[in-house]
Amino acid sequence: MRLSFACLVGNFAGWVSRISGRGRGETLRGRTILAIDPRALIKLSKGRELVLVSGTNGKTTTTAYLVRMLEAATGELVSTSKYGANMSAGIATALAQGPRNRLVVLECDELYLPSMAQDLQPKVIVLLNLSRDQLHRTGEVRKVANLWRDTFVTDDVTLVIDRDDPFLEFAAGSAGHVLRVSFGGRRHPDAATCPNCLKLLDWGSGDYLCSCGLGSQLAQVRGDQRLRGPARNAVLAIEAARLMGAIVPIELATELTENAPDRISNFEIGGHSIATRLAKNPESWREALAQVEAKCVILSVNARGIDGRDTSWLWDIDYSALIGKKVICTGDRRLDVAYRVKVQGVVEVATTETFEAAIAQAGSGPVEGIASYTAFQELAAAQLGIHARQGGRP
Amino acid sequence: MTLTIVRLYHDLLGTYGDQGNAEVLVHRAKAREIPVELVEVTPGMTVPTSGDIYLLGGGEDGPQTAALELLRADGGLNSAVTSGAALFTVCAGFQLIGSSLPGADGETISGLGIVDVHTVYTSAPRSVGELVCQPTRSHLPLLTGFENHQGLTELGPEMQPLGMVKRGIGNGFAGAEGVWHGNIIGTYMHGPALVRNPELADVLLASAVGDLVEFHDPYADALASERRKTLWPHS
Repeated sequence: MRLSFACLVGNFAGWVSRISGRGRGETLRGRTILAIDPRALIKLSKGRELVLVSGTNGKTTTTAYLVRMLEAATGELVSTSKYGANMSAGIATALAQGPRNRLVVLECDELYLPSMAQDLQPKVIVLLNLSRDQLHRTGEVRKVANLWRDTFVTDDVTLVIDRDDPFLEFAAGSAGHVLRVSFGGRRHPDAATCPNCLKLLDWGSGDYLCSCGLGSQLAQVRGDQRLRGPARNAVLAIEAARLMGAIVPIELATELTENAPDRISNFEIGGHSIATRLAKNPESWREALAQVEAKCVILSVNARGIDGRDTSWLWDIDYSALIGKKVICTGDRRLDVAYRVKVQGVVEVATTETFEAAIAQAGSGPVEGIASYTAFQELAAAQLGIHARQGGRP
Repeated sequence: MTLTIVRLYHDLLGTYGDQGNAEVLVHRAKAREIPVELVEVTPGMTVPTSGDIYLLGGGEDGPQTAALELLRADGGLNSAVTSGAALFTVCAGFQLIGSSLPGADGETISGLGIVDVHTVYTSAPRSVGELVCQPTRSHLPLLTGFENHQGLTELGPEMQPLGMVKRGIGNGFAGAEGVWHGNIIGTYMHGPALVRNPELADVLLASAVGDLVEFHDPYADALASERRKTLWPHS
């Protein structure tokens, strides 16, 4: 009774938020549901089969892959959050949409994963990676790995992990069921020391094995070493789908592993179509920079809450892919990124206050964009006619 | 003579982007046509003792202890500093050159003893946010950075701070931020610190090569000034 009322009021609040142009209303809807029925998450997930997807990079795309896979394999509708809302409120909204759908795939913020795993009792949890991100909020990478290790101590859930990430191997160390996938040959930039015993980690030829035993468990699945991040995540999603009893059609599996779509959007701004990649931490910037083809690139960087308030990490990235190109920097922290690429050796660097002004300055040739989290959200929202500042004050 | 900048254990102490300090020093030296070389020291290598400026950055607790043990066993950094080399250290790097600090399990361990500072864990929440300080040497403008640390650091009686805190926490004792002792600087400022405070980068360069020719780097100056105005509008 209470839950039905909560969902009804939540729907109304979400609708008001949408029609008043404040946003998609997903978060407000979820917050309202949880305010009226604090046990809504437990109730809404009862009797359903859930997969949670967490990690620093690739949560939203991997969740979308898994939804496509499960829908293609079962013919059923799968409940999910489409826009990357991955804390309690967004998850409540996703669960309340299609409450009779048996299958649910949800992405989950790293710090919320312990409580969500407890409340939602998922069947499978996919752990993609752990790397530096929002250090002001999450603290050290090892802190998150420790939190997860303390969470996964039961055998009623199966973890699907990329075991090449020592933080994930450590996090899964006490879990009952772990499916390890390995691609090999990738040194983790944040794991110079072992997350378990803190000794220097021996990376040998690109794979780690510590004298304390971390890394000694063999992977059950081996993927192609040449795969890029999104394709590797598609392999993890295929394994998760299989654990959910779904056989992914071969055409879809091939499409996603051979040509995995990035978190990339074509924004229509000022009569131009700008292919823009979301890059929110060093790992995703490296992926995005490796893909840039245009001669002119717009970099948009903010440092509001979810972006990480410290922009020092901009100096962890090698921008040599931009040398010889025209680079226009925008966003709240355009000067930080402009100076960074200048020191890297990019000659033609400009700054503009807005993304629109950057496009105007770009000229007529092809232009690509790379945007930090809230900058990307703002561009995405503007496409829907919403012109609101995303992510709070800097 | 070639100016030698030595970046120590960037793999272990590179969590907070402080490796950018080395790149800025190289950039500002090259702009003045000073021959410059950046030496990258990784675990397993001997620390050279002939460098001019040594750099240590911030990192997590485990890697901090690992770096401390490597430096202690090597001894090269202590020798170089005794011979007058400059040393710029940030956060975990600042803590480990002190007399004592918390180990990976919170126990008190001895540091390299290059400066007399003592770092402790208290019940205070982690210090996270923008930091602004008034440098103790008057020719420098306000310094800004981003701090993110658990430990708090008390200066020994002979030690001078890098600056006095105007915004943020800094060392967490007596309103001080960092340490400045001869050619040795310790700070809690990330940003990286020498990116956001180009005048401080020049102090280090001058300590190694003497008087510097004037150099204006428009983006560096604009960034430093934007941060100062945003974080301390009274300046």
